[in-house]
Amino acid sequence: MSGKSRRDFLKKSALVGAGIAGLSTSSAKAGPKNILSEDRMGVLVDTTVCIGCRQCEWACKEAHDLPAGDLESYKNREVFDNMRRPDHTALTVVNEYSPGKSSNLPVDVKVQCMHCDHPACVSACIVGAFTKHENGAVTWDTDMCIGCRYCMAACPFQIPAFEYDKALNPKIMKCDFCYDRTKEGKLPACVSICPVEALTYGTRTELVKIARERIKKDPDRYVDHIYGEYEVGGTSWMYLTSKDFAELDFPKLGNNPAPGVSESIQHGIFAYFVPPVSLYALLGGIMWMTKRRKELDEEEKL
Amino acid sequence: MSHDSYNPVPVKHKFFTPGVVGLIIIAVNGLVFLMGRFFFGIGSVTNLNNQYPWGLWIGVDVAAGVALAAGGFTTAALGHIIHKEEYHAIVRSALLTAMLGYTFVALGVFVDIGRWYFIWHPLIMWNGSSALFEVGICVMIYLTVLYIEFLPIVTERFIGRVNLPGILSKLNKPVDKLLRALDRGLSKTMFVFIIAGVVLSTLHQSSLGTLMIIAGPKMHPLWQTPILPLLFLLSAISVGFPMVIFESLIAARSLGLKPEMHILSRLGSMIAPLLGIYLAFKIGDMFIRETFVYLTEFNTASVMFTIEVLFGVIIPLRMFLSTKVLKSPLFIFIASSLVVFGVLINRINNFVVAYTPPYSSSSYFPSYGEISVTLGFVAMLVLAYRFIVLNFPVISLPGKATAPKTKYTIRGIK
Amino acid sequence: MMKKIISLLLVLFITITIQAQQSPGKDHSKLKVDCSTCHICDVPTKSDPCLIQCPREKITTVYQKPEQTPELITIDQLSDRYGPVYFSHKIHAQMSEMSGGCETCHHHNTSGPILKCSTCHSSTRKRDNVSVPDLKAAYHRQCMDCHREWSHDNGCNTCHTLKKDLKNGKQDPNLQKKYAGKNHPVVLEPTKLVYETNSDKGKIVTFYHDDHTKKFGLKCTTCHKQESCTKCHDVNRKDNKQPIKVITKRTFEEQHKNCISCHKKTENCSKCHSNKVLEPFDHAKKTGWPLNKYHINLSCVKCHGSAQPYKKVDNKCLSCHKSWFDGKFKHSVTGLQLDEIHIELSCDDCHSDNNFAVKPTCSSCHDDYSYPKQKPGKVIGKK
Repeated sequence: MSGKSRRDFLKKSALVGAGIAGLSTSSAKAGPKNILSEDRMGVLVDTTVCIGCRQCEWACKEAHDLPAGDLESYKNREVFDNMRRPDHTALTVVNEYSPGKSSNLPVDVKVQCMHCDHPACVSACIVGAFTKHENGAVTWDTDMCIGCRYCMAACPFQIPAFEYDKALNPKIMKCDFCYDRTKEGKLPACVSICPVEALTYGTRTELVKIARERIKKDPDRYVDHIYGEYEVGGTSWMYLTSKDFAELDFPKLGNNPAPGVSESIQHGIFAYFVPPVSLYALLGGIMWMTKRRKELDEEEKL
Repeated sequence: MSHDSYNPVPVKHKFFTPGVVGLIIIAVNGLVFLMGRFFFGIGSVTNLNNQYPWGLWIGVDVAAGVALAAGGFTTAALGHIIHKEEYHAIVRSALLTAMLGYTFVALGVFVDIGRWYFIWHPLIMWNGSSALFEVGICVMIYLTVLYIEFLPIVTERFIGRVNLPGILSKLNKPVDKLLRALDRGLSKTMFVFIIAGVVLSTLHQSSLGTLMIIAGPKMHPLWQTPILPLLFLLSAISVGFPMVIFESLIAARSLGLKPEMHILSRLGSMIAPLLGIYLAFKIGDMFIRETFVYLTEFNTASVMFTIEVLFGVIIPLRMFLSTKVLKSPLFIFIASSLVVFGVLINRINNFVVAYTPPYSSSSYFPSYGEISVTLGFVAMLVLAYRFIVLNFPVISLPGKATAPKTKYTIRGIK
Repeated sequence: MMKKIISLLLVLFITITIQAQQSPGKDHSKLKVDCSTCHICDVPTKSDPCLIQCPREKITTVYQKPEQTPELITIDQLSDRYGPVYFSHKIHAQMSEMSGGCETCHHHNTSGPILKCSTCHSSTRKRDNVSVPDLKAAYHRQCMDCHREWSHDNGCNTCHTLKKDLKNGKQDPNLQKKYAGKNHPVVLEPTKLVYETNSDKGKIVTFYHDDHTKKFGLKCTTCHKQESCTKCHDVNRKDNKQPIKVITKRTFEEQHKNCISCHKKTENCSKCHSNKVLEPFDHAKKTGWPLNKYHINLSCVKCHGSAQPYKKVDNKCLSCHKSWFDGKFKHSVTGLQLDEIHIELSCDDCHSDNNFAVKPTCSSCHDDYSYPKQKPGKVIGKK
């Protein structure tokens, strides 16, 4: 009896082990895509050019079927009294700050998803609803989302917003780089409407070159830093300003991709399921040995 | 052997007491707010917003809930894997705590996620790089494992006593047969689930720590460290036995039983080294990353960190080193409560206090609704525990040989 | 045959289009423009002209007086949501006199005719070369920088009229007249400005503005570079709650920038800094040579040259009036009309060594004559 059960034990343990190993191979293929194409697109936001007309806010709402109201009403400048953040009613907002160097004009900063090259949201999402596309856009699939809001906790720029007031089908909302429009060959809505082209749409590599050129040519106008060139491993949207970025509420971030540490830990623990399977085997071994000792003890007693 | 005289039986005690009525009121209050959440959205009952996406429900119901249910896997490892049979008397109650704990964790997740009807999505939509996915999938499997581990208690309760009312009484025999078959099958395979339970627990207890690492600089440096998963695992392991002690003593008191001090003292003697290891890593990490400088500031973070380490780790560690404490039901209860409190505060700190989003205009404090729901869940858990120990053979009592057969403990390892 | 013609035409067309790309003309190397303003390399060739990227800020332009420029320009290439925009060019040119001049807007131009904005700025936003803003952006950027400062809003209606508000789809003709006739009021020039400084070399700096413009012949833009409207106009008008602060904290270099271009750094501080208000420049006091009624009206550069430092001039008339030689000088301007005999003489017969500062001598012809007892003609008095 006891001999049989021991053989059983080994057989079953091996089976479970093989099962888990089988799971691991399929999980290696699963997970969200994160493609970094060489000619991925980006936007260079030159805040020294932006006039704070907020037409981008209107165009964004129009393009995303959000209640946009009358374009004329966006002239209202009282909204600048409070700092605003993108939410489920506006995927992009413009904030105004006091003037920077060599100008008496206020600095206006458009805020939206930065479309990271190594997005924390893509890495974090429990169901892999987020995707980094070849053209640089980070989008998400509403049908997959379970509403856990881990993307919001993970995002270094605090961008994803949630429809807290909805009982059914609340959505995560953020700028999607007008993925549908760009697929049809159109420009993102905000870029298209901007009267001063403070938003330049182009390949990311080209934009970095242009940004460097602008700083070089006019060092009095710009702070010598392209925000987004290296932050969190690079972002598709990049900024030029006439003022220290910290004063414009840009978070101070390192150059390492946001999901770097957690992903390496995650992949360390689950390196092809070797650690969990070995732990399983180890515990099984201990269990088998302690049991055998007990049996020997009892046999001696008899 | 001493443990032979202990056998699990349904405790004979009345269900309703003034305390139970109080718990029911708390539970109903929680349910009212839960209805608000389901009819009017999460925003209507919580203080959560785009800056603070996670609050009390994730910090306490889920994170602390998982940690405090760690008693299940630590005692299973002790009783079944290292095979210390003298602890079998408490394995079942620890298992019940874990099972109920995880059930309420799952419920906590269910109410916190915006699209609760898609809670099954992680089963088919996988994201291997997500720590949350790993936690989610492990908790789901582990919960199933816990139910399977608990099944023998159910079969034991009903084998030979299936007595369905009226027309269904014809089914009595087949049901009984089914139960017996289930029982036989389970007893042969139980060890597979026990080991799986321990492995799964180790995995998700640590991954729960990985969760907040991705928040990076949004998390206060006193807590943000790459060894968070290890700290979470170590703290979960060290809170396992104190939770069992805490829960047995409360149950004994409430049900009018004599506390099984000889087992609890021995359990207690193992806590100090475990807490010591946890403390060593925690302090070591603090010195390597030189985060102790943040303790010189006086703010919520430094105060909460001090409370967590001083009252939750250092003081109980000293207490558990004393034999006087181990022998005294009151002192061992206080020491255990402190560890439980410490881990609870640790999880709240990690998920709520340490989290400082870049654009918040005001800090987060849970709303009345959130607190009500959390307390309601705790009350429901206690009520469920009480109901099950009164009706199923969970708690071992000395001397009385009851139940059909003792072999139904867990046969696979006997 | 047909094919050949077509290909020939094609080649011709391509050559023309390439030529059209802002070529400054065949003989542009003979123009008075430094080659390095457009070319990076020393020897530009046709295949590799090595041009500096636009906009070439430092390029010299053809300077025109605002009054010579078009009064009104209609901008309607991009008309979409709004009707055409009437741009009152003349008044804007007048305004720019105090700021960057023509280059403020015409920042890329050779010395040839004014180029159209659309020569460089594409009219489509989706394009390959995004280093240069598109036409819509180029226009708006030119306007908005000043207009934001001027009116503190960025409303479109200042310049634009919504198409739906147009009468019969046409802009109000009165508007055209209104804009076309607009002139910037003449800027009144201050005579004297007294600055209070915190310099220990003397707190008071007296600046005679009219001396500098009228006598020293400085142009407005020599000092007033890139100045905005708000420098003179009340910036707190309209409903602007927070007045824009003009930066007053400037470095030593910034403070003295305008003066130092003429007054060399090595000059004595006390030339400008004093503890009392200084007198204006007085030629008699400084040089000992009072200027007569003709000379006093001249600008300094007329005699002393425009190059810094000023040329030192002696008091001999012929040093400047080089042509005042025999027969060419109308002696009657001195108030004395020479008689028929004396008018035939050469100057130095009476004015020895051509020194007109001293009394003329008569002794070379007359024995006991002397000026002014005896006169060589009729006194008619100075006019």
